[in-house]
Amino acid sequence: MTDSFLTEAPDEAMALALDRIRRGSQTGDVSDLEGLALDQVVVNMGPQHPSTHGVLRLVVTLDGEIVRDVIPVVGYLHRCKEKLAEKRTYYQYIPIVDRTEYVAGMNCEWGYVMTVEKLAGIRPTRRAEFIRVIMAELNRIASHQVAVGTFTADLSPLGTAMVFYMFRDRETILTLLEEASGARMMFNYFRFGGVRFDLPPGWEQRCREVMEQVPKWVDEYRSLVEDNAVFLTRTVNRGVITQQDVADYAITGPNARASGVPHDLRRTRPYSVYPELDFDLCLGEHGDVFDRYRVRVDEILESRRIILQCLDMMPRGPVQTGTLRPPYVITPPPGSAYTSQENPRGEYGTYIVSDGSRYPYRLKYRDPCFVNLQLLPKLLRGSKIADAVAISGSIDLVLGGIDR
Amino acid sequence: MALTDEVKRYLPDGIAARLKYPKLADFERPNVITTTADLVFNWARSHSVFPFQYGLACCAIEMLSSGFARFDIARYGMEVFRPTPRQCDLMIVAGTVNEKMAPVLLRLYEQMAEPKWVISMGACATSGGPFYDGYNVVNGVDKVVPVDVYIPGCPPRPEALFDGMLQLQRKIQQLTFARPEKVEPLYGADAPWHADAIGPQAQFGGRVSKKRLTP
Amino acid sequence: MSLQVGNVRIGAGELAARLAQGFAGELTDVAVQEPDTVVARLAREKLKDVAARLHDLEETPVDSLTLISSVDYVTHYECVYHLYSYAANLYVELHVRVPRGDPTVETVSDVWPGADWHEREAWDMMGIVFKGHPDPRRILLKDDWIGHPLRKDYVDDVRNHPYV
Repeated sequence: MTDSFLTEAPDEAMALALDRIRRGSQTGDVSDLEGLALDQVVVNMGPQHPSTHGVLRLVVTLDGEIVRDVIPVVGYLHRCKEKLAEKRTYYQYIPIVDRTEYVAGMNCEWGYVMTVEKLAGIRPTRRAEFIRVIMAELNRIASHQVAVGTFTADLSPLGTAMVFYMFRDRETILTLLEEASGARMMFNYFRFGGVRFDLPPGWEQRCREVMEQVPKWVDEYRSLVEDNAVFLTRTVNRGVITQQDVADYAITGPNARASGVPHDLRRTRPYSVYPELDFDLCLGEHGDVFDRYRVRVDEILESRRIILQCLDMMPRGPVQTGTLRPPYVITPPPGSAYTSQENPRGEYGTYIVSDGSRYPYRLKYRDPCFVNLQLLPKLLRGSKIADAVAISGSIDLVLGGIDR
Repeated sequence: MALTDEVKRYLPDGIAARLKYPKLADFERPNVITTTADLVFNWARSHSVFPFQYGLACCAIEMLSSGFARFDIARYGMEVFRPTPRQCDLMIVAGTVNEKMAPVLLRLYEQMAEPKWVISMGACATSGGPFYDGYNVVNGVDKVVPVDVYIPGCPPRPEALFDGMLQLQRKIQQLTFARPEKVEPLYGADAPWHADAIGPQAQFGGRVSKKRLTP
Repeated sequence: MSLQVGNVRIGAGELAARLAQGFAGELTDVAVQEPDTVVARLAREKLKDVAARLHDLEETPVDSLTLISSVDYVTHYECVYHLYSYAANLYVELHVRVPRGDPTVETVSDVWPGADWHEREAWDMMGIVFKGHPDPRRILLKDDWIGHPLRKDYVDDVRNHPYV
């Protein structure tokens, strides 16, 4: 079979990168080194790459080892979720919301369910609120383990043992979630007015046992990397996000908290039973890669505190308000609502416009990864290509959310 | 080396008549040599498959989980996930394929060396999954590349992935050096249906989009 | 610069009153929605001016743009700008109507740099043109996709589907 791809014309993103080089060379903005005429090379870290978490394509303009410009190209996982919302009833759409940020499915479902409940005026039961918080925080722990694990796996390909320990510990949490909801990753557990199943007998005891071990896990993770001089050299003072960037680009979540901005939607825009719970915000100081890693690991301990409090405070009672009966069709009154909540990656919001029919009229996601990715060109400019992988891993991207 | 006249010139007299030289045609039917060679080569091929790290979406996380400690894929000899297709035997398509990604997938498939296999993991890669009526979704990766094993599930548990891999191992063990009775043409009326995915037939217009865009 | 969150303790009603007073001619239908959102309607000609003044508002600058949604009501489009003020810890939602025959609107990516990709997505999905945008390309679909999918009258072109 002839290889007909060799002389393919550059596509739009590559053409844009080449055009920027041409314009730069016209204005004299070429290489730093005097006396050497170096060309800038456009390299495609293509949609299939071991280190871009998912199908993200980075068109990188390199000057030797230094990155001059990055053009992220997304859309390789665009699954038309917003258009599908107009063809599914509100209830039928819940499993699809799960797959937006597939690593943190419970949090995504909660965002959607919260908006529909606000539109339709449904209030969840108190026991269901506590169960929702427990599930969301368990999923936050699991999600941070994936995020930090794959980030350290990128720094040296599967060389650190960290990712193995994190995935092993994640399996205990996924077993808990599977016992409660029936699935390991795509839970389909939240319903309008509550959750689908009550906790199985003995689940609370098992959850407490797992939470007993969490501090030991975190100590193990910290001891694996924080003494390592190579890890520190690669992460300290790299990829600094300033507070001005946080405001300009609306960065939220651990990325913003690592820069010292105390913005956590569980505190600033409290929803559910978070006002009654006692937990601290984990803040960093410098906003570099190390701080983002550290904030995520600290948040695992804070989530544990929240879960133990919820297990103590949880009342008995029904887990679903009695309003929803087969054929499970709700028709919220016409109007629009936007709610947002704290995903492990930032502010995850849903804007729904309803026209009174069974199907949503318009559903729009505010996805934290989509917004955080905008900052990547600015962060990577001037750094070396080896840091590009570390920095893009530390921002914690999930392409399901970016592309929807 | 065949027993041609030129070779016979160098042999001592009288031997050529008594020499039972095997002809090439003898190897075309299955015999003990081909079956033994099959056994050895298929054992090597099936138990040391190098998968291609091609996780597109949520199924990729389950593929990762199957590679780590609890569900250990190294038991089956497949822990060597290579990032480049040139070093791989098996492409596990884990996740939804859409119109933007399909040419990339085809290009990566063509970069793999024969013999190569494709596992379509999950409902999205098999048939479009929960997104089957999206405008941008390709309903199944078998519209782009030929698939050997389909694994249903959304996402399939790691145990289901292993089941699919064991089926693939059994399929690999059907390969043989002997020439088959009938040769399957690559395209045309007698071709298997998936062969339309590659070759000149892949690019033609005139097909109506079958996606219903209204409820 | 140190970003404080919620150090200016005013309620949403107070902020709504300030906005109604300060932008009397431009922001219409100023209302308060649930605990912390001020909703207002804005004409598209005044968008750029109001955006710049909101960004530099005294005491509670609206310094962050969370989301730009685009909705297709069949007679017109609507761009909804969800803004956030760190100092006041309050959200501001601006609804800008865009006529169907002329779907252009000014870009706000020079006021809030984070608007860049949201506007590209609104162009990609809904076909709303943002004048002055630094990089108007499709973001989620293929470069040569025909049509804007989230419009209510979208018909899927067969040329978009080489792989059915």
